[in-house]
Amino acid sequence: MVTRNLFSAIMSTTIFSLICALIFLILDGVDVSLTEAAVGAGISTILFLSTLKYTDVKIKNCNKTISPLIVLFLLLLLSLSYMVSDLPEYGKIKVSSESYVTKYYIANSKTEMGITNVVTSVLAGYRSFDTLGEVVVIFIAGISVLGILRKKSNL
Amino acid sequence: MKHRLIPRIVTKLIIPLILLFGLYIQFHGDFTAGGGFQAGVIFAAGFILYNIIFGIKVGQSILSINMTKNLMAVGLLLYIFVGFLGILLGGNFLDYNPLSSNPVQGQLTGVFLIELGVGLTVSNVMILIFYSFNQTDKEQA
Repeated sequence: MVTRNLFSAIMSTTIFSLICALIFLILDGVDVSLTEAAVGAGISTILFLSTLKYTDVKIKNCNKTISPLIVLFLLLLLSLSYMVSDLPEYGKIKVSSESYVTKYYIANSKTEMGITNVVTSVLAGYRSFDTLGEVVVIFIAGISVLGILRKKSNL
Repeated sequence: MKHRLIPRIVTKLIIPLILLFGLYIQFHGDFTAGGGFQAGVIFAAGFILYNIIFGIKVGQSILSINMTKNLMAVGLLLYIFVGFLGILLGGNFLDYNPLSSNPVQGQLTGVFLIELGVGLTVSNVMILIFYSFNQTDKEQA
């Protein structure tokens, strides 16, 4: 279904995010699921709706046909479904991503760091340099939004 | 939206729970799901909900724009400070073991401080972006 109403498009994105969060939950990715529910379904919806204030709900001057978009969408769908065959089977014990470091993290997180949630120990401990970069990126994003949307003499 | 009875009452009831859940995710991230990033976003979502219902003016009297700007820098600086603390105490950058006499306790302290920094930065960046998108007309002059 194609919609030209931006409000329903935003709501579809939100529902899609919520379903994604549920799928992550079923796949035992609780941390990712929490992030998806909070960011995808929560904050980004609010920000999209905030931008609607500056625009109109309906897309104007859009008489062009949407067939190129549908072709693009089908191509994307085809390429993605081609890649699905490369994914490991659900519930398979030995997967390709299970490398030496993964086993090390799982085995030593409790004894080395005293943290039972391996995701936290990897993010904040073993890979804390990456997390530092991530925080810097978020900080820069905040500064950039501030710089773009700043009105005179405030903010 | 302050004149609408049902959103106002329901928001008053659930906002403490959202903020409490955010804090739980923040300080219990070592043992259950979540961490600083998720906690920051949940906390920011609760605060933004408060802003939507009671007006952005009331929200900014609690947490002003300048405060969010400062706090997001404080979070990042706390992260970097913990990194350099490792060097000062005789380890590597972002090495938590020297933070305490017991290495495991040092790791726990380091992770706690770093997650606090991440949570501060993320929540304040989210609130700041929300404020930037919702400036009132009077402010635009």
